[in-house]
Amino acid sequence: MTTQPTPGVVGRRSLLGSGAVSAAAPLLAVAPAAAQPTPILKETAVLDLVLRVNGQEHRLALDPRVTLLDALREELGLTGAKKGCDQGQCGACTVLLDGRRVLSCLTLAARAAGGAVTTIEGLATEDGGLHPMQQAFLDHDAFQCGYCTPGQIMSAIGCVQEGHAGTPDEIREAMSGNLCRCAAYPNIVAAIEQAKPQMAGRRTERG
Amino acid sequence: MPDTMIGQSPIRIDGRAKVTGAARYPSDVVVPNPAWAFLVTSAIALGRITAIEEAEARAVPGVLEILTHRNMRGTVRDAGFFAAGGYAAETIRPLEDDRIWHDGQIVAMVLADSFEAAREAAFRLRVDYAAVTPAAGFGSASATTEPAAKARQGHEDPQVGDADAAFAAAPVKIEADYATPTQHHNPIELFTTTALWEGGKLVIHEPSQYVTGIRHGVATQLGLDPQQVRVESHYVGGAFGSKGSLTQRTALVAIAARRLGRPVKLVPTRDQGFTIATYRAETRQHVKLAADRDGKLQALVHEGTEVTSRPDPYKVAGTQTTARMYDCPNVRTKVTLLHADRNTPGFMRSPPEVPYMFALESAVDELAVALKLDPIELRRRNDSKKEPIKGLPWSSRGLMRCYEAGAEAFGWSRRNPEPRSMREGDWLIGWGCASTIYPTHIGAATARVTLTPDGQARVQTAAHDIGTGAYTVIAQAAAEMLGLPLEKVQVALGDSDLPPAPVAGGSNTTASVCNVVAEACGQIRARLARAAVEDGPLKGRDPASLKLVSGELRAADGTAEALPEAMSRAANGAIEAYAEYLPQGMPKESMRKLYSGKQALGGGIAEGPLAMAAFGAEFVEVRVHARTAEVRVPRVLGAFAAGRIVNPRTARSQLMGGLIWGIGSALHEETEIDHGRARYVNDNILEYLIPVNADAPKVEVMLLEETDTGVNPLGIKGLGELGNVGTNAAIANAVFHATGRRARELPIRIESLL
Repeated sequence: MTTQPTPGVVGRRSLLGSGAVSAAAPLLAVAPAAAQPTPILKETAVLDLVLRVNGQEHRLALDPRVTLLDALREELGLTGAKKGCDQGQCGACTVLLDGRRVLSCLTLAARAAGGAVTTIEGLATEDGGLHPMQQAFLDHDAFQCGYCTPGQIMSAIGCVQEGHAGTPDEIREAMSGNLCRCAAYPNIVAAIEQAKPQMAGRRTERG
Repeated sequence: MPDTMIGQSPIRIDGRAKVTGAARYPSDVVVPNPAWAFLVTSAIALGRITAIEEAEARAVPGVLEILTHRNMRGTVRDAGFFAAGGYAAETIRPLEDDRIWHDGQIVAMVLADSFEAAREAAFRLRVDYAAVTPAAGFGSASATTEPAAKARQGHEDPQVGDADAAFAAAPVKIEADYATPTQHHNPIELFTTTALWEGGKLVIHEPSQYVTGIRHGVATQLGLDPQQVRVESHYVGGAFGSKGSLTQRTALVAIAARRLGRPVKLVPTRDQGFTIATYRAETRQHVKLAADRDGKLQALVHEGTEVTSRPDPYKVAGTQTTARMYDCPNVRTKVTLLHADRNTPGFMRSPPEVPYMFALESAVDELAVALKLDPIELRRRNDSKKEPIKGLPWSSRGLMRCYEAGAEAFGWSRRNPEPRSMREGDWLIGWGCASTIYPTHIGAATARVTLTPDGQARVQTAAHDIGTGAYTVIAQAAAEMLGLPLEKVQVALGDSDLPPAPVAGGSNTTASVCNVVAEACGQIRARLARAAVEDGPLKGRDPASLKLVSGELRAADGTAEALPEAMSRAANGAIEAYAEYLPQGMPKESMRKLYSGKQALGGGIAEGPLAMAAFGAEFVEVRVHARTAEVRVPRVLGAFAAGRIVNPRTARSQLMGGLIWGIGSALHEETEIDHGRARYVNDNILEYLIPVNADAPKVEVMLLEETDTGVNPLGIKGLGELGNVGTNAAIANAVFHATGRRARELPIRIESLL
């Protein structure tokens, strides 16, 4: 079993490695004030920004501390991305930012402004046709409770697009930042193997 | 369309919603203008709160209110312990006084206009304590013990014959101590709650395995009529037992919403989930097992001690199962509770069996080694048609068929029984096996089925799909009984305003709910049949002989009337049936308990007249590195006999997930405790190790055919908790085979083998 972190893969296995460099800034932003007293801001700062999500632009006025995950869920009503730990350990919040997997709970909304965000809601075509990865997850029963599934599917698309789906072992390693407590893992690997050839020439990054 | 839907493997009917993000879990509910709640939990395990300094927290812009015992005392009434006729997982009343019972107890709830403000204020709330040295568990000086038989009304320690005398006299015997750790469920959906008041009615959105129980529990706590409370949980993002009983947070969120006059949304943190809900209690077990020289069991002594909290007598008590597993004439068991300053433990997937079958199935393997007998052969010699304690006949017992099929598929005959005899380079290879059993529970259930003139059926019941596939298998049962294609059946679950169904626990849902749905569909069929024999092509037929098949009402000779005509003959519009199913042998009061949200499952292996259980045989291969002692599990195989399988696709997923849970239980999962402070150390899912994709091996699931008409009319046994029993022992047994080292304490780590 290789234990080399796969570049670009975030989550439990690489959190302490290079994969989570982007985590540093948001972690500082939410550090418990009690640990090192900081003055209370008298007024809540407001940040005006534009988020491009699934091809649509949204103008938002946000508390600068708001994460991309909370902006998607609470401001835009896109609740497909899930909150499972809010600290970058479970992968349930995985979305694509400019075609790459990111943990939206460790990404400030401000950091995503100007980029193209794709969420699970943006995968199916307008007439309801499923992305090959969504269909593969259905075909292989690659979920049970389904809560981690949007993150698994976004991560699986990223895994294929990044070229990390060469072998089942490579898929297992590259998907190990997305926890599935129901343990549908073998079926997830089978689904990715089915979808991979169908994704040739297709790239998901429209924001 | 096949004539039968039960036994087919359709894709989950809720699958599309889950892969598109359309499925709204309780945590996803969007409410207008919510206030946000953030919990503050205790930093000590035992003592009192001496001061709460709120000024700094209240100065955070957007903060609305801070609930503590100072403004909440006397607000939340006692809901009673779930196992003593109440509803609560833990009987400590939320924010009642200054007393701290355990680490991570809720001491305040901060409410603010935004999540960010609530969180910042929670961090700025200063709570001072007078701490007392707590008991963390085993080995703590101030922990106290009491027999389960004393702590819990109705608890009996199974026994038969004279086990101690038989053990003393037996020629071959083993005696060993086993230990299993604290484990946390860690479902990926957090323990969130959203509450809002609509007029006088309280609506709660909370991931739950028992919406009816939460409704009645919260109504009791708040002094409301249960009809004023509605609990919705249409999807559940993992539960595994952790979302079955009422926890402290729910009433607090409801009260906050009432005080603020607006919806309140609570999203606790991952680490708070370790202390505001339940966990699997750690155990210490002592086993004595003896046989004659032919391997016939003579004596079993199984004693277990289990951690629970100071106020609540939660029991694991897997001796109820281990005492009955094999044919043994002399059995003595005892369960003792150890009270420590911990939150109250609770159900976690196969609660009694995971820790206790680890000990028994390890001991059986040790006995096989002592007898120089193949471990499967030892089990065969002690297989039985009756359980030994009361002599109840098994309704069916597929254990040895599972061993035969599993051994064949696994290649067991190629195993060299000598430890350390199989090797590939630096990797020592071990093959091990163990039995699994899960009692077939069932509960009283109700359902409403509506057939509309356009040939659509709607099934409504307050059951739950916690990932098991309940939506799909219930739809299959209705489709089969009404002769409709699956896509014509809609199923509504997870809403306490629907007809009550049992807690999604004890693997009872498929059996309980499919049977009541079948009964409701049977009422509809009967009504159609009575009308059809009055006139038309089926005139004069015996109504009992008519069946709903492929969209028509059909006689045995093929004469039929299409459903729309049969419908219009029987009714002007829809036909609706409301059914109550009281499983055979259960007391009538079970139905009343169901309507009041009490937990009252029946069936199983101890009550009779039949002993009912699903069985299986699990085989694993481990590879232990000869130099580093790293343990890997490259393949697992489980063969299961679990009655009639309603949907093999979802059944396989359940069992596969269970087997991987078993790997986690054997090799990864342990909640580490700071013994001086009685606090959980690795309270996050980075350091609490649950299996990840790279840990999951090749998993093979074999479903054996089994017809068992004794369990219930449809012949269904639950299997959601069958897969992860025994796996830990099979792995420990394989590790022994690979290394010659017997690991009796879980999880098995490198240091266990050095």
